[in-house]
Formats: sequence, C-alpha cells, structure tokens
Amino acid sequence: MATSQGAATSTVPATLTPADAPPGIEGGGDFVTLPPVREGGWEGPSGEDRIVQRYKLGVWVGMGGILMFFAALTSAMIVRQGLSGDWLPFSLPPVLYVSTAVLVLSSFTIERARKELLQSNPDALRRWVNVSACLGLAFLACQLLGWQALSGRGIYLASNPASSFYYLLTAGHGAHLLGGIAALGYIWARVRGSRPWPTRVAAVEATALYWHFLDVLWIYILGLLLFWR
Amino acid sequence: MTEVQVSPEVAGYTEVHRHPEPKSFIWKYIFSVDHKVIGIQYLLLAVVAVFVGMALSLLVRLRLIWPNESLPLLGDLFPVGAPGGVMTPEFYLAMLTMHGTVMVFMVLTTAPQGGFGNYFLPIQIGAADMAFPRLNMLSFWATFVSFMLLMAAFFVEGGAPMSGWTGYPPLSAVPEATVQGIGQDLWIASIAVFCIASLLAALNFIVTTLDLRAKGLTMMRLPLTCWTWFVTAILALLAFGVLLAAGVLLLMDRNAGTSFFVPGGLVVSDRQIDHSGGSPILWQHLFWFFGHPEVYIAILPGMGVTSHILSTFARKTVFGYKAMVYAVLAIGLLGFVVWGHHMFVSGMSPYSAFVFAILTMCIGVPSAIKTFNWIGTLWGGKIRFTSPMLYSIGFVSLFVTGGLSGIFLGQPTVDLYFHDTYFVVAHFHLIMGVAAIFGMFAGMTFWFPKMFGRMMDEGLSKIHFWTTFVGVYAIFGPMHYLGMLPHPRRYAEMSDVDYLLTTGAEGLQQFITVAAVLTILVQFLFLYNFVRGIFAGKECREENPWEATTLEWAVPSPPPHDNFAGKVPHVYRGAYDFSLQGAKRDFAMQCNDDKAVYGDQPGSGD
Ligand code: HEM
Ligand SMILES: [Cu+2]
Repeated sequence: MATSQGAATSTVPATLTPADAPPGIEGGGDFVTLPPVREGGWEGPSGEDRIVQRYKLGVWVGMGGILMFFAALTSAMIVRQGLSGDWLPFSLPPVLYVSTAVLVLSSFTIERARKELLQSNPDALRRWVNVSACLGLAFLACQLLGWQALSGRGIYLASNPASSFYYLLTAGHGAHLLGGIAALGYIWARVRGSRPWPTRVAAVEATALYWHFLDVLWIYILGLLLFWR
Repeated sequence: MTEVQVSPEVAGYTEVHRHPEPKSFIWKYIFSVDHKVIGIQYLLLAVVAVFVGMALSLLVRLRLIWPNESLPLLGDLFPVGAPGGVMTPEFYLAMLTMHGTVMVFMVLTTAPQGGFGNYFLPIQIGAADMAFPRLNMLSFWATFVSFMLLMAAFFVEGGAPMSGWTGYPPLSAVPEATVQGIGQDLWIASIAVFCIASLLAALNFIVTTLDLRAKGLTMMRLPLTCWTWFVTAILALLAFGVLLAAGVLLLMDRNAGTSFFVPGGLVVSDRQIDHSGGSPILWQHLFWFFGHPEVYIAILPGMGVTSHILSTFARKTVFGYKAMVYAVLAIGLLGFVVWGHHMFVSGMSPYSAFVFAILTMCIGVPSAIKTFNWIGTLWGGKIRFTSPMLYSIGFVSLFVTGGLSGIFLGQPTVDLYFHDTYFVVAHFHLIMGVAAIFGMFAGMTFWFPKMFGRMMDEGLSKIHFWTTFVGVYAIFGPMHYLGMLPHPRRYAEMSDVDYLLTTGAEGLQQFITVAAVLTILVQFLFLYNFVRGIFAGKECREENPWEATTLEWAVPSPPPHDNFAGKVPHVYRGAYDFSLQGAKRDFAMQCNDDKAVYGDQPGSGD
C-alpha cells in the first residue's frame, strides 16, 4: 500500500501565516491573487491565504440571494401597478438625493480605508472605517427624514400601493445597510487585535465589496422609485 | 486528544491548519461550529419534525373516514378543534396545513441538505469544515427558531393556520376569513426565518464547494452527492429570497393594512373587507417561483445519494457521470421557468399555459436521463443487496411512478380536470414526499457506520424497506384513481357527494387510511433501529465497511474533530472507480494513486 508522503507540502507562504506585524503592500498583495492552477487540475485550497478569496466569494454569492429578494419586490411592484387603477404616484422627498450623495461618498471612504489597510496603517484604517460608518448612519438618518417628509404629506405605508412599495424598498435596503455598519464596527474593534493578518484583510475586503453592492443597489432602487411611478 | 493516523489508503496529503477542539459540553454539542455536530442537529430536528408531521397526517386520515365519529382522547387534547372528539372542518384544515408545512420545510428541506450535506460535503471534498463554520451554526439555530415558531402556532388562540402549505390569499391574508388569531402570522414568521436560515446555509454550501476542495479534486471528479448539494444550494439561494419577499408582503397585508394580495370588494361573512386592488394571483406567482425550485431542493440530494449508492453496490462506475452532472444542472436551470404549471387554472392566458407546458415537458428530459443512467448503472453490475441499495432502488421506482403522473399534470387541458384533486396528491407525495424520504433512509443506513461507528441492523432495515415500500404504494397508488373520479383534495368531508358514493371512493379512502396507519407504525421500527444502532448497534470501527471510494471512507468512524486531523488527502481520480481492469481490488479510492491501485507496474491498468 502506497503511503508515500512525498506530496505533503505546506503551500502556505511562511510570511503570511501568523505574521502579527502586518506585511507591507508587497507581501500583502500576494494572497489577493489566486494560487496558480497547474494542468493536473485543482490545486486545492492553500490555507490562510485563501481566506480573502473565500470571504469575497461569500459576499458575491450572498449578493445573488439579496438580488433575488429585491427582484421579487420589483416584479411585485410592476405587476401591482398594472393590476388595478388604484396606483397614485407621488413625488419623492428631495432628501433622497442627499442620502444618495452621502452613500456614494461613503463608498469612496471605504476604498480609502481599504487602501490604508493594504499599506498597513491600522490607525488610519480605523479612522476611515469610522468615517464610513458615520456616513452610513447619516444615510439612514436621511432615509428616516424621507419617511417623515412623506408621512407629513399624509402618505403612509398603507395609503397606497405606491407608498407601500416605497416604504418597503427603503426599509429593506436600510436593513441590509445596518448589516454593513455592523461589519464596520467589527473591523474597527478587531483590526488592532491579534487576529492573523489575512483574516483582517478578508474582513475589510468583504465589507468593502458588500458596501459597494449596497451603494449600487440603492441607486437601482432610487431609479425604480423615480422612473416606475 | 490522541494523534489520529492517516489512513493507509491516502497516497499523499497536505498539512493544514488545525482548529482546537472545544472542551465544554455547550460549545461541543449545543452551539457547536463543527459541521458534523450541526449535521446531526439538523437530522435530529428532522426526525422530531417527521414524527410530528406523521401524527398530523394520521389525524387528517382519521377525519376523512370518520367525519362525524367521536374519537377517544381527541376531545381532551383539543377541546376547541375537536369538541367531544369530533374534529371540526377547520381543525382538519389546520392539521393539513401544518402537516404540509412541517414536512416540506422542516423535513424535506432540512435533512437531505442541512443534515447529510452538512455532515458529508466537507469530508467528501477533503475539507476540515464548512467555509464559514459560525454562519453554519447560525443557520441551524435559525432553523430551530423557525421550527419553534411553527409549533407555537398550535398553542395560540384560534389555533394553527389553515390556508394550506401554499398559504394562498385571501384566506391567509385576511384575518377575518378564518376567524383566527396569530396562528397564520406565526406561520409567516416561521417561514421568513426559515428563508433567512436557508439563504445563509446556501451561501455556505456554495462557497465550500467552490473553494475548499482538496488538491486534485476538480469539479468533474466530485462525487454526485456533492454536485447535488451544490446545485440544491444554488436553487435555495435564488428561491428563498423570493419567498421571503412574498412573506413580508403577506405579513403587511395581514397586519399593516396594505393591499398586495387582497382584491377590492372582497366580502367575508357579510362584511366588506377594507382592502382594494391587490391580487391573490400575484402571491401564486411569487410562491410558485419559489415553490417549484423548492420541490427540487427536496429531491436533488436524494438523487445524488441514489447515484452514489447504486454505483457503490453495483460495483460499477456511474453510467454517464458527465450526463448526470449536466442533467442536474439542467434540472436546476429549468426548474426556475416552469412555475406556471401550478397555475393552469388561475385564469392565465392559454398562450402562457402553452409555454409553461412546453418547458415543463422539457424538464422531463433530464429527469429521464437520470433514470436511464441509474438503470444503466445497475445493468450488469455485481449487485450487493444491502439495505441502502434497496432504499435507493426504491427511490428510482418512486421517482419514475411520480414522474409519470407529472407528465399528465403538465398538460394544461388535462390539468384543468386534475388540478386540486387527489391525483395531484398522489403525484407529489410519491415523487417529492416519499422518494425524498427513501433517499434519506438510503443515506442514513449507508452513512450510519461512518457517523456513529456502529451498524444499524440489516435485517430490521430490510423488513422496514419492504413494508414501507409496499405501504406507500398502497397509500398513494389508489389516490390516482380517486383523483380521476375526481375526488377533490383539501375537503374535510365528502361523504354525501353522490358521484363518490357510487364509485367506491369511500371504500378506497378507508383502505388508504388502514394502509397509512400500518405504514406509520412501521416507521417506529426504523426509529427503534436508529436509536438502538446509536447505542447498541454492532460495532464497526472499520474505515470502509462498504468498500466505497470517496474520501469519507478514508477517515476513522466516527471522523475526528477536523475530519482529517490536519492532513488533507490528495485526490487522484474520479469518484466512482469500481472494477478497474488490472487493479488489485475491485475499487479504487479517490485518494489512491495509480501505484496504490495497480501495483508497481505503471500503466498496467490501461
Ligand atoms: C417529470 C417531471 C414533473 C412534471 C411534468 C410535474 C408536473 C406537475 C404539475 C403540472 C403540477 C401541478 C398540478 C396541479 O396542481 O394541478 C405538479 C404538482 C406538484 N409537483 Fe410535480 N412535476 C414533475 C416533477 C416533480 C418533482 C420531481 C417533484 C418533487 C420532488 C414534484 C413535486 C410536486 C408538488 C409538491 C406538487 C403539488 C404542489 C401543491 O399543489 O401542493 N413534481 N407537478
Ligand atoms: Cu412544479
């Protein structure tokens, strides 16, 4: 029986495993790329360095599920609108444009945070994570102001299918954004700890990806509310 | 912990990072992040749920044959639902609804994927755990909460919901329509939590399959079990979000005064309902857009297990492995475009019905490919009739029988007649309910020695197989005939309907109930065998008692924490290398290299 252990190799680059001191961008850039695939087929996961891919893949897959949720709401909205003559369009509260600007800005600050991380500046990273989280909260505040403006005009959740979908879509998006803010809080708390370096990169990369997705998702929802009245 | 030896079958391996094993009971068995513990938690949940579901079906069957008789005990147990031991029609509908919901969600969706998938996907691909272990724990506990919410519906004022497992509005959307309390709200909440749990689990399965495979394990070398868990996860990811959205809308219709699904001018018990402009058909579209993929979520893992076991015990490679993979993918893809076949009588345009019918027929093609390949796998094999093998062959039989009635239902003209009759009940119980459950029996008996280091009793399993196999055909076979009469489904009582009195429906219903009672009793034999097996079954510490090929058979039984104890085997071949020419044994494990398989003369096996 063959028990050769010749192939037993650790493919984890030594610089990456426990490295508490964050490597510079040269060292850090390494694990963001996929390991080479030889003609023998799949090379297998190679340890800690793949965790960044894994988390990002997780976010990509998660986006699929979230998209289906909003796709279902969209199709329900379109169908409901064409169904009976009771759809009453209303003009969107202007504060939505402020919130949109705030959210787009936060995507840039998240990018900045990401860059700080790759250049191993934990303090700057925390600063930009803070800024982004605050912008996220500001966005949610604007959304609440939007609700307030509408209810001030007597337009409530149950007033009309048009308003029902307005409240529902904004609430659905806001709930997902709360998740993003929680993730930022996690990064803020953990980035200075003793966690292995790739784990921290993974958290930041995945959160940034998720955040951009929510950004784009919001612009889609805004477009839907604007143009499908 | 003692150092675990690498199996002598493993030709080469990679050392990976090891995770410490938790020590305390709570972290080891309750809030465990170990996929094996979580898999067993899912299985136990499903076992509890399946017995709840069976008890409910028993009530349904009893009410059907004794609509006005007083049954002992019932009056004390359900003073409202069955005053004096006579079940009210509302109680009948509530039991029916809960039966369907418990079975479809808490059994068919949890055990094959969350149970067996969780336990064996990581081991079969050579991983130490799922990609996101803590998320995995969260998925299970959310599922558990969902189950509790559903059970709570029994105990609230007004009782359990009665709008069917499909939750059709307006019955489900208008509280006045059912004189109910929050039972229906609990149902929706339960389903919503279940959706979230399933979405998280699906994410985990997909990333695990894509990202954690051992070296050499290409997608086309994956065991078919892994393929079906993977595709099931994709279906779940895309389907449960839609059900979640629909559930949120329904909840608002009930509680927040919106009108998504409630039409205008609806009058219930002389009262005009204060909603306007919605459409119950909208719910049907959203529900079935989820619902049809859901039936494949329930059955695909069973298909994988069946392919796996047929090959193992026929000592032959899977006939047309690639075709099997593409068939699973095709079924998954087509599954998203056929939902309209549940709505032929909803007043849809005949042109849409035509399109849905054609697409529905298309899905028969990959289904037939699978069936022919199963038969091809058996053909000329050196068959070992173990109990997992019997259950798998039973699966094929049930899948074919149920699939044939599907072809009839897929024709809009025929379905006008059959819709909402017992013919549909027969169809989906055979193909979804019982076939999937046979898949679970197969998986349980097959993997039992791996999970518990003991065997279930083969003799008892075989008795259970034959009695259950005959039993389910006795229950659901006659239902085809009932449907042709046509005997409608979901009616609490048909005893005064003339055309049923003259056609023998009553006698058949009695026969079915007797068969159901007997078949339910036999399930306790399986339960006994299962529990006895865990504690007192014949010890089986062998790594590979079935002489199978995949990686789970190259680790100790039960597998250690971290599965491979830090040493992940390399994979050198496909998953079903049986009876290779020139090989030293009649099977080659995935972790055997050519030297291990053929001896020292390379190439001698060609
Ligand atoms: C050859 C493939 C199949 C065809 C052509 C087919 C066709 C149909 C049609 C047309 C209906 C609607 C009948 C009606 O309500 O009037 C139906 C119902 C159903 N089918 Fe299938 N089917 C097939 C396979 C399956 C499979 C593989 C499963 C599950 C694993 C399944 C599960 C169900 C269920 C659960 C229902 C009833 C749902 C309900 O109304 O409560 N079918 N099928
Ligand atoms: Cu269907």
